Amino acid sequence: MKQITPPKWADRFLMWYCRPDLLEEIQGDAYELYYRKAEESRRLANLQFIWNVLRFFRWKNINKTKTNHYQSQLSIAMFKNILVVTVRNFLRQPGHSFLNVFGLSAGFTCAILIILWVAHEYSFDRFHAEPDRIFKILTHVEANGDVQTYDVASCVIDLSSVPEAGTLVSVSPGDRWPHELCFRPEGKTNECIYMNGVYANENLFSIFNFPILEGDQNPLKGGANIAISEKMALALYGNANPVGKTIKIDDTREVTIVSIFKNISSNSTLQFDFALPYAILKKQWGINDEGFAQNFFNMYVKTNTSISAEQLTKKLNDVRVVTEEYKAQKLSYQAYPVTDWHLKSKFEGGKNTGGRIEYIILFIIIGGLVVIMAVINFVNMSTARATLRAKEIGIRKVTGAVRGTIIAQFMAESFLLVFFAFALSVVAAQLMLPIFNTLLTEPISLNMVSGLMPLYLVGFLLTVALLAGIYPSLILSSFQPIRILKNQFNSNTSGSQRFRKSLLIVQLSVSIGIIIFSGVLYYQLNFVTNKNIGFDRSNMVRIEPTFPLLKKFASFKNELSKDASILGVAASNVNPLNTGGGNTGVSWPGKPKDLRISFKTIGCSPEFPETLGLKILEGRNFQSQPLDSLRTEVLVSEDAVKAMGLTNPIGEEIKIGESTFVIIGVINDFHTESLHEVRQPVILYHTDYEHVSALYVRYQSGSTQQAMATISKVYKSFEPSFTMKYWFQDETFDDLYKTEIIASRLILLFTIITLIIAGLGIIGLATFNAFRKTKEISVRRVFGASVAQALLMLFNEFTLVLIVSTLIAIPLAWYAADHWLQSFAYRTPMPWWIYFITCAGVVTIIALIVWIQGMKTISASPSKTLRSE
Amino acid sequence: MKGIYLGELEELVLLHVGILYPEAYGVAVMDEIERQAGRSLNISAIHSVLTRLEEKGLLKSKMGDPSPERGGRRKRIFLLTAAGKRALEEANELRSQLFNMIPKIALQFRIA
Repeated sequence: MKQITPPKWADRFLMWYCRPDLLEEIQGDAYELYYRKAEESRRLANLQFIWNVLRFFRWKNINKTKTNHYQSQLSIAMFKNILVVTVRNFLRQPGHSFLNVFGLSAGFTCAILIILWVAHEYSFDRFHAEPDRIFKILTHVEANGDVQTYDVASCVIDLSSVPEAGTLVSVSPGDRWPHELCFRPEGKTNECIYMNGVYANENLFSIFNFPILEGDQNPLKGGANIAISEKMALALYGNANPVGKTIKIDDTREVTIVSIFKNISSNSTLQFDFALPYAILKKQWGINDEGFAQNFFNMYVKTNTSISAEQLTKKLNDVRVVTEEYKAQKLSYQAYPVTDWHLKSKFEGGKNTGGRIEYIILFIIIGGLVVIMAVINFVNMSTARATLRAKEIGIRKVTGAVRGTIIAQFMAESFLLVFFAFALSVVAAQLMLPIFNTLLTEPISLNMVSGLMPLYLVGFLLTVALLAGIYPSLILSSFQPIRILKNQFNSNTSGSQRFRKSLLIVQLSVSIGIIIFSGVLYYQLNFVTNKNIGFDRSNMVRIEPTFPLLKKFASFKNELSKDASILGVAASNVNPLNTGGGNTGVSWPGKPKDLRISFKTIGCSPEFPETLGLKILEGRNFQSQPLDSLRTEVLVSEDAVKAMGLTNPIGEEIKIGESTFVIIGVINDFHTESLHEVRQPVILYHTDYEHVSALYVRYQSGSTQQAMATISKVYKSFEPSFTMKYWFQDETFDDLYKTEIIASRLILLFTIITLIIAGLGIIGLATFNAFRKTKEISVRRVFGASVAQALLMLFNEFTLVLIVSTLIAIPLAWYAADHWLQSFAYRTPMPWWIYFITCAGVVTIIALIVWIQGMKTISASPSKTLRSE
Repeated sequence: MKGIYLGELEELVLLHVGILYPEAYGVAVMDEIERQAGRSLNISAIHSVLTRLEEKGLLKSKMGDPSPERGGRRKRIFLLTAAGKRALEEANELRSQLFNMIPKIALQFRIA
């Protein structure tokens, strides 16, 4: 009987016109006749039904009152009532409400901070005009069967054969002399302000959006001109206008300040406080145009037309661009979008393998998870709490509320709470920003909220509020008043119970996963810090020397050695912690023709190996007067011996480029880069003090202050007009893992927040469970169950949840952690105990919460709880 | 009857509501009229008569139980009120009184 129905349109027509109070009997009669007729013929029945509907269409039966009383209930008064009830509910259980809102705003705060950071990272280098048309030229060089990628290209690259190439910008940045210079404020010859700048060709300010505030718009055209930043102008001249004044570089070369440019914004890859033309650089280096042409600098090209990076790359590798000489060195160019460089700057084998973007994605995921967790919590707590409000709903329904009103009420409550939580989180984010910024390198601010951001935020909030409100409002509004008021509705909650449990599984999986991941991360960073890198980096300070100081190295060393806390002084031309590019021009007797191996070559003083703590395994150390007066003496690492395949290395003659060297000793292997990279073979060669870049002073451990006082005093006595620049080597070492350290701090922060949120969720659910099972527990207690048994019963609610979330979290955490560990050439084996401890910890925390929450219920006298009905 | 005029169809429906006690509702009344009086009426006509009678106070109604053949909808069961009963009695009385006043011859003639 059910499968046949009268024509829909006629039925709908009837329902539309008919008075509601008459509809049931009229429709009923029409249906009855229809079904009876349908047994003979369906077609006739349809016709009859239509006819009847039309005949019923009489003035008396028509719905004359157009006002629908369901709608009229959502009046201002109703909204006021909803607001009042929300506030009352909030205040009735302040602790619970606080947990609820606090969890949500913690999640939002996280999300806001992450969004700000991600927006900042993505804004890098996008402020230039037509950023999509600016490309950075990268150079790939094949060596050791591997491809190394550098973000520089030949400074005399000839793009005349590429019609699309418009303007070429050549920039030479750096963080040491001659990029970092000491400037003296007017009239104060003993004061020294270090500023970092670039040398560039005249297109720097026309291609990039570095606005010039005052003076010449094209400052790099002339010979002896300098453009300085506002910051530098302020530091050197205060509020006076410096344009037109002359300033000395290195106390010798005079240049004219022709322009002042706006401080470079923090979201620029290029950072500098002054810009000088290449003419000055040539003079600084003391080289002619020919020597200068050998240099590789940061090269940017802006194209005339839009062209893809691939197409441009193809044109850059034309014979007319890559000269025969470079071709022979297995060198190739790549055009790389300037906007991608900041986030995707990691290259392996000539292919991009990510970079910062990996961390950005990681944090987007973590932020998303944290918000999801917070929302889940909110939904969970709202539903759990709302079931306790069933009576209210029952009464509301009895006194005339329809489902729509109840839905509206719960939605409105959810919206109010979500927006309240959001307001709190904005305040919290603002308060936390300074702390958050100490974790990052560049400061971010809420000012990043611009453009479409507010729109996204509102959309995001609406979604969260809807998500959080929809479940409680739909479930609760479906309660039948009679059952609620008769206290029979508990069976109804089994569905929502399951729902809550699955949400808890998601939460716990996320928490366990994040904790494990951050555990592995910290373990690896700890491994990196504690790994023996082959020499001792602690208790050592690196000093930037001036040229005159280097000339007086011996007496400088003598002065320092008078202090017992100073153990050694040495010099080298690169920092052994981070040597940079390798040297492929090393040859030795019996070297295969086509073999290309990269060595790290370090020029150093005789004291260097000993001061650093390197061990001489074979042969002898350098001596202050070289024994071999014809050939330069070198020490090689064991790796180098192996790489060259020498059986008896001492006395062997090798060549670096065209110069001849002789091996006088073998030293132990040591790392010359971050542990992401595989250890390279090292060659230490003896060099003059005049050719080194830094002095290294080792001091007694524990006497840092005394040593530093002596060093500054001695430095001041040698160089009274310079401020000493120095770095601690262990800090420099940490700088190698800056990204990882920042990431680990952020992850720790988010781990804590995740834990708090998950903890709140478990507390909420445990409380609710204990409350719901009050009677059951009392009955069991009456029948002789022990406290432990009752607790176990409460805990059992979480057993399945725990097992499932562990099963989900562990493989995911393993995958992420393993992937991350792969980026290190030297890594710890996967620390499985972290997995175990995390899981055990989570079980303990849940057990504790269940115990604390459950004891309240269990210790209550059964007679009291059972008497309540 | 203080000016309450009972129409022919109204009387017929009123009678059938009485006959069908306590199961008188729209479709049942329609069917019964067809069976007893052989008159086929549209359901909407029955409805309007029933409501008119209810307005006149001759019928009262209550909602019955839902039944499956009506798609789970309830019937509106009609019952005679005291006034309805009296109206029927009066009509019946008037009719038999008038019938008795017909000369016998006229009837015999008719039979023949």
